[in-house]
Amino acid sequence: MKKIAAAFAALAAVALVLAAAPQAFAAGTVKIGVLFPLTGNAAAAGQASKAAVEVAAEIINGKHPELANIPLAAEEGLPGLGGAKLELVFVDHQGNPSVAQQQALRLVSQEKVNVLFGAYQSSCSLTATAVGERYGIPFVVGDSAALNITGRGFKWIYRVTPIASDYAATYMHFFADMKKQGKTINSIAIVNENTDYGTSVADAVEGEAKKSGINVALRVPYSANATDVGPQVLQLKDKNPDAIIFISYTSDSILYMKTMHNLNYMPPMVIGDDSGFSDPSFIPAVYDIAQGAMNRSAWDIGKPGSTTYKINEMYKAKTGRDLDDTSARNMQAMLVLGDAINRAGSIDPEKIREALSKTDLKPAQLMMGYNGVKFDKTGQNILAATYLIQLKDKAYKLVWPDSAAEAKLEWPMKGWKK
Amino acid sequence: MKITLPALLALLLLYPFVLNDPFYHDIGVAVLLGAIAASAWNIVGGYAGQVSVGHSMFFGIGAYVPLLVYQHGAWPPVIGVPIAMGLSVMLAVAIGYPTFRLRGHYFSMATIAVAELIRIYVGTVDYLGAAIGLQGPAVGRGWWDLTFRGELPYYYIFLGVLAVVLYITFEVQRSRFGSYLRSIRANERAAASLGVPVRQTKLKALMLSAAFTSVAGSLYSIKTGFVDPESGFGLLVSVQMLITAALGGSGTLFGPLVGALILVPLQAATNTWFGGGGSGLTYIFYGGIIVLLSRFEPGGLYEFWHRVSTSWKVRHAA
Amino acid sequence: MLLTQVIVGGLLLGAIYALFSAGLTLIWGMMNFINFAHGEFVMLGMYVALVVVTSLGGGPTVFSFLAAGALASVGIAIYFALIRHVIRGPMMAQIISTFGLALLLRYTAFYVFSANIVSLPQDTFGIYNIGGILVPGAQLLSGLVAIVLTVALHLLLTRTFVGSRLLAVAEDRNAAMLMGIRPDLMQALAWGLSAASAGMAGALMAMSYPWSPSVGETFALTSFVVVTLGGFGSVPGALYAGLIIGLLQALSAYWLGPIYKDIVVYALFIALLWLRPQGLMGKI
Repeated sequence: MKKIAAAFAALAAVALVLAAAPQAFAAGTVKIGVLFPLTGNAAAAGQASKAAVEVAAEIINGKHPELANIPLAAEEGLPGLGGAKLELVFVDHQGNPSVAQQQALRLVSQEKVNVLFGAYQSSCSLTATAVGERYGIPFVVGDSAALNITGRGFKWIYRVTPIASDYAATYMHFFADMKKQGKTINSIAIVNENTDYGTSVADAVEGEAKKSGINVALRVPYSANATDVGPQVLQLKDKNPDAIIFISYTSDSILYMKTMHNLNYMPPMVIGDDSGFSDPSFIPAVYDIAQGAMNRSAWDIGKPGSTTYKINEMYKAKTGRDLDDTSARNMQAMLVLGDAINRAGSIDPEKIREALSKTDLKPAQLMMGYNGVKFDKTGQNILAATYLIQLKDKAYKLVWPDSAAEAKLEWPMKGWKK
Repeated sequence: MKITLPALLALLLLYPFVLNDPFYHDIGVAVLLGAIAASAWNIVGGYAGQVSVGHSMFFGIGAYVPLLVYQHGAWPPVIGVPIAMGLSVMLAVAIGYPTFRLRGHYFSMATIAVAELIRIYVGTVDYLGAAIGLQGPAVGRGWWDLTFRGELPYYYIFLGVLAVVLYITFEVQRSRFGSYLRSIRANERAAASLGVPVRQTKLKALMLSAAFTSVAGSLYSIKTGFVDPESGFGLLVSVQMLITAALGGSGTLFGPLVGALILVPLQAATNTWFGGGGSGLTYIFYGGIIVLLSRFEPGGLYEFWHRVSTSWKVRHAA
Repeated sequence: MLLTQVIVGGLLLGAIYALFSAGLTLIWGMMNFINFAHGEFVMLGMYVALVVVTSLGGGPTVFSFLAAGALASVGIAIYFALIRHVIRGPMMAQIISTFGLALLLRYTAFYVFSANIVSLPQDTFGIYNIGGILVPGAQLLSGLVAIVLTVALHLLLTRTFVGSRLLAVAEDRNAAMLMGIRPDLMQALAWGLSAASAGMAGALMAMSYPWSPSVGETFALTSFVVVTLGGFGSVPGALYAGLIIGLLQALSAYWLGPIYKDIVVYALFIALLWLRPQGLMGKI
C-alpha cells in the first residue's frame, strides 16, 4: 500500500522535474525564449515562423557577407559581446493563452532566458508579455496585431510589426490614390474571419473607412473553419461593392476565390489582408482564377541577386517553401533584437531594454519594406509600414506605393477572364 | 487513508516552499485550479452520474463577469465573482429543467450544444469583447485587484477555495442529498419509484456544481488576466474537467484532485518534451490515456487503487 | 435568382451531411451509443482522398471507394478493440471513450499530415449552368452520389438479408441472439458501415473544399444535429434532415450572416432535444 503511494509520489515528482527540464547553459550565448503555436490550428504558421527566426539566428551567428546591408550578417555572432551567439529556445503554447503564460514562466525561471519573443496569436502575446513585464525581461513581438499589446503602459514590450490601425490607414491611403486616378470607390465590403486577428483588423478598416467617407456596404464576419461560403459570396454579389477586403486565413481565402469563380462573381478588386493570401498554398491553388488579386505585404522576395532574394533562398533551403509575410515579419523582429543586444553589449535585461528603446534602423538595413525601426514610448514601431502587391501570373508583384512599385497596377482585376 | 490524508494536506501546504520557483508555483496553481473545476463538475457528473460535456458554460460565465466589471466599470474583478455565481446558477436552472428529461448520450449532447451556442454568441457581441476577449488589470491598483506579481498568493487562495469545495462535497456526500444522488446514478427509475425527488435533486446538484464551476472560472481569469470565447467557453475546457475527474475517479471525494495532480504536470511535461518539436504528441498521448482509461479502468485511479490495495490486503491478511 | 442559387448550394451540401449522418444514426439506433469521433472519420476520409491523388494518382472513383474501404476497416477495428467493451460499462466511460478516440485520431492526423490546409488539385468537372443556376460539377456529382448512397444504405438495411439481421439486433438484441444472429458481428458490421459512410462523405467533400485535421469537430456537431432532427435510428430521417439542415444553414448564412448560421443550427438542435427528441422519424 505504502509502496504504491510512494510509487505515485515518485511518478509525480519525476513528472514535475521533467516538466521543467532546463537545458545546459552554455557560456558565450544569449538565450532567447521563443513562444509559438507549434501544434493546434495555427501550427502551420507557428512552424513557418519558427523556421524564419532560426534563419535569422543563423544570419547573425554565421558569416554572411553576401547579405551586406543586414546588420550583423557579415560577422560571426555578436561583436558587441565578443562574438557571442544567439541561442533560441522554442516552446509550444498550443494557441492557449494560459499555456503561453506558463511556458513564458518556465522560460524565465528555468531556462533563464535573457529575452522573450513571440507569440503569434494576440491572446497568447497578451498573457506572455505580462510575464516579461513582471520579471523585467524584454519581450519582442514580431507579429501579433492586437492594439492592447503595447497599450497597457508596459515598459518591457517592443513590437516591430505594423498593427491593425496601420493596415487600415494603408488601405484608405490606397483608395484615395485610386480615386485620384479616376477609379470608382464608393463602397467596399469587408469579409473577416471571426477571431481576434480578423476582428481587430476589420474593426480598424471599418473605422477608417467611415472617416474617409467610404461606405462599408457589407461586413461579413465568418467562422474560419467554414465548409461552404456560397451564401456569403451571393450576399456580396447582391451588394456589388467596388472592392472587397478579405481578412482571412488560408483555407477560407482559397474557398472564397473558388466559390466566387463557381458563382461567376468578380468584384472590381479583391484585397487580401496578408495571412491566407500570403500562404504558400494560396497561389498554386487559385492563381488561374484570381489574377490581379491584391495583397498587403511588407515582404517582397525581390530580384535575383538582391539581399531579400538570398534570404528567401536560405529559408527555402530549410523549409522547401517561399518565405511568407508573417514569418518574414518575425524574422525581421529577430534581426532587430540581435542588433539591439549587440548595441547593449551585455545580457543584462535593463541594458538590452535600453538598447531596444534606442533602436533606429534605416530602411536600407531592413529586409522588410518598413520605413525604418524606431519605437515610441509604448514600444510600438512607429515606422512600420506595408506595401500592396498584386498577383500577376504565378507571383505577387509590388504595385503600390508608386515609389516602390516594380509593376503596373491593374484595376479592375482580371480574375479568371483572359 | 488515515495516513495519506494528513500527508496530502502537508504536501499541498508546503509544496511552494519545497519547490520554490515561479514555474513550479504556476504548475501548482494550475493543479489546484484543475482540481477545483473537476471537483465542481464531479458533483453533478460524478455523484449524480449526469455526464455534462458543456460545463464550460458555467466556467465561462465565471471567467467573463469579473473582467467585464473591470473593463466596463473599473471595479475590482473580484466583485464579479458572486455576480457570476448568481448568473451561473440561473443558467443551471434554465438549462437543467428541460435537459434533465433526456437520458445518457442525449443529455451530454445537449450540454455540448448549449455551451457551443454560448461560445459562438459571445464571440459576436462587442460588449463582451467579441472575438478579441477581455483583459484584467495589467498592474494591480491595490491588493483588492488580486493582480499579484508572484504566483504564491494565488496558490494559497486557490488552495483555500479547493478546501471549501471539498468540504462542501464531503458534507453533501454523507447527507441524505448525497444518498439521493448516488441512487440516481445507480438507477434513476428505481430511485424515483423509491420516492427520491429525482428532478429536484438533479437540479440542485447542477446548481451547486454550476456555482463552484463559476468560481473556478473566475479564479482562472483573475489569475491569467485574460479570457476569450475559446479559453472561457471552449469544448476543451469542458472535456478537461470531465477527464480530470474521470481519471482520478468520478464520484469520489478526492478523485478530481488526484486527477489534477497527475494530468496537469503531465501535460506540462509532455509539452516540454515534445512541444518544442511541435508534433502534437501531447494530445495524442492525452487521447490515448483517455481511451485506455475508458476501456480498462472506468472508475479511474481510485478504482484502480481500491482494487490493488484490496487484493494486497487479502494476500497479506492471513 | 440568387435565392435559388443559395438553395441549390445548401441542398447539395446537405446531401453530404445526410450521408455521413446516416452512418451515425445507424449506430445510435442499434446500440444507443453516440460516436463523438464520427467527425474524425469524415476527416480521415478526406485525407485518404489526398493520399490517393498525390501518391497513387487515382481519380475520384478510386479514392472514394478506398476511403470507404479504409474507414470501414477502421470502424470494425475500433468496435472490437474498444466499443465492445465500453458499451457494457458505465455511461461516463462510453462518453469519454469516443472523446479520447477523437483526440487520438485528430492529433495523429496533425502529426502525420501537419496542420497545413490542404485541398485536392483543381477539379476537372467544370461548372454547369442549369437554367441560370451555376453548379460546380464536383459539388453536383458529390451531392447526387451522396443521396444515392444514403438511399442504398436504407435499402441495404430494409431489403437485404444482412440488413434484416442488423435491424433485428437493433430492435432486440437478446431475441436476435435467440434466433441465431450474432449481435457482436452485426454491431461490428454496423460500425464498419457507419465509418465507411463517413469516409465516403469525406472523400466526396474533398473534391470541393479544403480541410485540415481540425475539421472533424464541426462535422461531428453537424451530424449530431442531423441525426437528432432525422430521428433516432432512421436512415431516411437522416436523409431528409441532412437536406433540411444544409438548406437551413445556407439560408441563415445568406439572410443573417455566416456566424448566425451556426447559432441557428445549434438553437434548433437544443429546441429539438427539449421539445421533440425523437426528431422527424425516430421512435423512442
